[in-house]
Amino acid sequence: MSASAVKTTCPYCGVGCGVNLSSRASNRVVPPVSGDKSHPANFGRLCVKGSSLAETITPKGRLLQPMINNKTVTWEAATDAISAKIKQVTEEFGPDAFAFYLSGQILTEDYYVANKLAKGFIGTANVDTNSRLCMASAVVGYKRAFGSDTVPCSYEDLELCDLLIMVGSNAAWTHPVLFQRISAAKAKRPDMKIVVIDPRRTATCDIADLHLSLKPGTDAAIFSYLLQDSAHEHLLDAEFVCTHTEGFDQALAQAEQSTPTLEATADFCGLAADSLLQLRDWWRSTPKTVTFYSQGVNQSSSGVDKCNAIINCHLATGRLGKVGAGPFSITGQPNAMGGREVGGLANQLAAHMDFATPGAIDLVQRFWQAPNMATENGLKAVDMFNAIEAGDIKVLWIMATNPMVSLPNTAQVKRALEKCELVIVSDYKMGTDTSAFADILLPATGWSEKDGTVTNSERRLSRQRGLLPPAGEAKHDWQAICDVATKLGFGEAFNFKGPHEIFAEHAALSGFENDGKRDFDISAFESITKQEYDALVPVQWPVNKANPQGTARMFTDKRFFTPSGKARFVPITPALPKQLPNDEYPFTLNTGRVRDQWHTMTRTGDAASLSRHLAQPFIEIHPEDAQSQGIKDKTLVKVFSPYGRALLKAKVTDAVAKGSVFVPIHWTQQFSNASIVSALIPSEVDPLSGQPESKHARVTLEPFKQVKYGSIVSEVPLDLSDCLYWCAVTSDHGYRYEVVWPTEMPIKAFKDRFARLLPKTAQWVEYTNPHNQQIRLAGVTKDRLKLVVYISDNPMVATTDWLTSMLAPKQTLTEMDRMALLVGTPANVEDKGEIVCACFQVGTKQINQAVEGGARSPEALGKTLKCGTNCGSCIPELKTLIASNKETAV
Amino acid sequence: MVSLVAVESLPRLIIIGGGMAGSRLAHDLMATEAGYQVTLISEEAQVGYNRIMLSALLAKEIDAKDMPLVDIQGMREKGLEVVAGDAAANIDTHRRLVVLASGRELQYDKLVFATGSRASILPIDGSKASNVIGFRNWQDTQVLSELPSTAHVSVIGGGLLGLEAAVGLAKKGHPVTVYHRSGWILNRQLDEAAAKMLQAQLEKYGVTFRLGQTPEKFKCNAVGKVIAILGKDHIQPADLVVMAAGITPEIELAKAAGITTNKAIIVDAQLRTSHDDVYAIGECCEFESQTFGLVAPIWDQLKVLLKTLGKTPSVFTIEAVPTKLKVSGVNVFSVGRIVADEEDQEICYTDVATDHYRKLLINGDQLVGAILYGNVADGSWYFQLIQNKTNVSSMLDTLIFGEAYCPQDVA
Repeated sequence: MSASAVKTTCPYCGVGCGVNLSSRASNRVVPPVSGDKSHPANFGRLCVKGSSLAETITPKGRLLQPMINNKTVTWEAATDAISAKIKQVTEEFGPDAFAFYLSGQILTEDYYVANKLAKGFIGTANVDTNSRLCMASAVVGYKRAFGSDTVPCSYEDLELCDLLIMVGSNAAWTHPVLFQRISAAKAKRPDMKIVVIDPRRTATCDIADLHLSLKPGTDAAIFSYLLQDSAHEHLLDAEFVCTHTEGFDQALAQAEQSTPTLEATADFCGLAADSLLQLRDWWRSTPKTVTFYSQGVNQSSSGVDKCNAIINCHLATGRLGKVGAGPFSITGQPNAMGGREVGGLANQLAAHMDFATPGAIDLVQRFWQAPNMATENGLKAVDMFNAIEAGDIKVLWIMATNPMVSLPNTAQVKRALEKCELVIVSDYKMGTDTSAFADILLPATGWSEKDGTVTNSERRLSRQRGLLPPAGEAKHDWQAICDVATKLGFGEAFNFKGPHEIFAEHAALSGFENDGKRDFDISAFESITKQEYDALVPVQWPVNKANPQGTARMFTDKRFFTPSGKARFVPITPALPKQLPNDEYPFTLNTGRVRDQWHTMTRTGDAASLSRHLAQPFIEIHPEDAQSQGIKDKTLVKVFSPYGRALLKAKVTDAVAKGSVFVPIHWTQQFSNASIVSALIPSEVDPLSGQPESKHARVTLEPFKQVKYGSIVSEVPLDLSDCLYWCAVTSDHGYRYEVVWPTEMPIKAFKDRFARLLPKTAQWVEYTNPHNQQIRLAGVTKDRLKLVVYISDNPMVATTDWLTSMLAPKQTLTEMDRMALLVGTPANVEDKGEIVCACFQVGTKQINQAVEGGARSPEALGKTLKCGTNCGSCIPELKTLIASNKETAV
Repeated sequence: MVSLVAVESLPRLIIIGGGMAGSRLAHDLMATEAGYQVTLISEEAQVGYNRIMLSALLAKEIDAKDMPLVDIQGMREKGLEVVAGDAAANIDTHRRLVVLASGRELQYDKLVFATGSRASILPIDGSKASNVIGFRNWQDTQVLSELPSTAHVSVIGGGLLGLEAAVGLAKKGHPVTVYHRSGWILNRQLDEAAAKMLQAQLEKYGVTFRLGQTPEKFKCNAVGKVIAILGKDHIQPADLVVMAAGITPEIELAKAAGITTNKAIIVDAQLRTSHDDVYAIGECCEFESQTFGLVAPIWDQLKVLLKTLGKTPSVFTIEAVPTKLKVSGVNVFSVGRIVADEEDQEICYTDVATDHYRKLLINGDQLVGAILYGNVADGSWYFQLIQNKTNVSSMLDTLIFGEAYCPQDVA
């Protein structure tokens, strides 16, 4: 492997950080990684998820061979079966009986061949992707305004602006490296103002000068108001609006009607008038403004309108195409942008051309020499699964995504997958909630093996490099697609020798008859060689003859990609979410991410260090709501919506507003029996983007009474189906579970329950304490630990790192160790408390102690404990701990 | 005839009993130069030995030279008069006279009863036989030591003393059977779980147990020696029977002298009896309806008595006393309440495989009882918590795991 091959990119969020390997990967082991100092996305920084990448490379649970109906088969047999079925259903029912459901996790090259096969050769536009759940609204918003899906900004604009408005983004946890860049900029220039617009008080608010805790879904009203205020206060860039935009008058008229006054707007949004006034004053006085928005805006039944409400304000004041200004949509996934670029969405054709783009179908057909061009939009994710349930789509190929967990209305998704005649799942993991429904499983390469390109949120192409050979019989997704394409008789068009050839063809298409008509143009790479491809350095598109070094900022020439070349204002009527709370379901459910997990945990779930920050799924409930519902902190709560049910541990906090609750999205049935939040979410979508309103549902809450809470550490995996609730927590050794039992059980029943799992030679160490209603058992053979069970009437989360370490091979137990098994810590070892800093494994108890000892700033804590000095993503929590310590000290 | 031993004009103090309490009192009086002419009267020839060590002596873990509790010879040199092997037979409190079995009369100004106790002999048919003995003194130990190791010994009573005797005998190689009236041994110190662990350990040493049983009859041979024990449904051959079913305070002498007694000689908090200048300490005294069999409260009594004699005000109070079984290789610790009251909470820890057991009794915010088996290192800490009436409410989660797991500043 060449020296350059030890640089790659991170597979998590849309920031797209460069990653360095400390040494070459070998023997299927990836050495610890660090941030790539030369990568312009992160300049050497990495967040805790990225820092833990090497830990996620494990043979555990890998899918290594193709399977049909759970039986191992050859690739030959699997692709025979797939191609035969595709032929049969498309001949019998037409090309739309086939669909791809893809992912922002796959690489641009994978995306490109999938899109080409479906839209040009099978003849269906039923190619959609989990990016539909992430930023589809942002795409449509940009297209409506600019005539193209163009992110105008660069990351450096986040550092160079004077006012940063973060809308529906908890970047501190979801895009930690950008958040660090912003924090550093703010520290250097304290005058820079940061405003967070979010119903929840998140870790991102830590650096904010102002937090607008608005009523869920009312974001558009704020920008509607700012538009009309800008007009009345003569903030308009009149020359720009007149010469380079259209539709301003209608948009302004609508804004005046929708949000006539500050008071009316504040009232609609549930905000104090003075906080909105503060934002308005900063907006008025700060030309260098970036509005940074994410899923909180996109995942809405009016997500596209919210995007355009934001863009309208930037157009009106000329705040785009300039340094430190612009409407900046940040994507969630590592290659959501790459998917958009190839056209891997049902309402796109290819290379930023739509079916509706005049001449586009013909252009692409000629370029591909395609025999069966699709001619109109396919079905977007939610509609696609409805069509599957209706029997219209009969073959579904799911690639690198987990719709059983991520799509709304899980019950419907399940019905659809059960109905579908052939479900093909390509994944690198054997057991996912979705693969349980697969008829054919195809082993895919994962990060460290995949080889190709990705595009991050600032339009920057980077290489993700293969560090290890594919495990087992795993193939790259593009290879699997090309194999099937060949069997369908399209071998000539899918005869790629490597990803560089696919990339070159993709680049050539982007430049084909472009002549500046389309924003996406990377024709500079149309003849790229393998050597050049392998040496590719990160670059922002467009990259073409005019811009050979790439393009940092778009629209500096004030020319847009609409037929008129002018940007378009869109009149916006702020709308509330579709399913508002009512008497039966009185709470508003919001969803989001936690700091140390990614999506459905198929990768981060393998890293023990990432499970320590938040080990279990939870529901945030305001203290007053908790009291009125009879719910205590950490207890198990039943959450019902009209669509399903979830069981979650309560986290009572005033970070959520009264009447609102919050649940993270990550936990699947692989990790918890009933904590899938999308089961609660309605299938409401934005009419334009088809993006589900995943951040909004109405729910009711019910506490559990008379249950036993337990923590279990076991040498072997356990069947916990008799538990009301269980959650598996990844640990370095053995298996760890948090459980809830439905009824009162005497100690003997617990011993019997677990005794059958133990070897006959095992004996119990036991502890009972009526004071805290605790029962603790350790099953031990001679001097080896097999199992530890802690049970209590009170909810608790044991600190079990030491316990699981006792499951390590060759770990023998002393008499005092045996006693310590029932305490959870050896007597002479410090109990760290809950881990806050995942990089250095520093816990709450250590931090509190250091704060009491005089470390009153994150910097001081970093000096004593090292916490926060690597990825820095725990700094907001460190500040909270410092503040709460000061309060108690007073 | 009055023997005037007194030199100079120091008041004369006579201690009746050369056991642990009496000899230690004599020692302390001599050491503190309390201003008395002290005489120590001992029925036994051996004076001032450590009775607690008898089982170790029997088991031959120690020998005679390890036995002294105090240095009698050294005390003699300082002026203590020791009368050994001559029991006090009579007391005339009016004339302040002690009459010895030999007929010798001793005048006193202050008199201290430290007559101790003897083994209770249960009223079982045959219990008067010559091979039914107690395990109380050096003489008993002598008898047991001389027994051929094949001889079968039955011990009546599975309390501290009985078990110590049983283990001593078993270690010597005797087949030993322990009869115990309760369902588990050491029932006044241990709960059933701990007792069962202890029993299993003692069984490994070769001791056999008959629990929940009292012998119905000792079958004697023609020469009046016990040859077997008859139980409800069994016959147990026996060459010797050790009575360890409790102790009876030795109070006959006091009673005869007209001193008020109940179970034992009644004393007040200054260890004074019903008669002026007459005191009692140790196993022969009774305070607040309690008698005493363990050494710790007796040492407390001793301190109080020294002060009383020195005319310094002092008050004896009864404290919880931890029990430790003096059997090498076996660790038992128990203090305070054994059986939970209705309001008590029991915290338990059991590790069967390593013979490690703990039970704590909590009442309100206080520790009121502790039983430890196997690992007793935390025993003294628990004892301290009980004695100090420490509020343990903040430690309840980890209290049973010992001092190492509890916040240091609390204890």
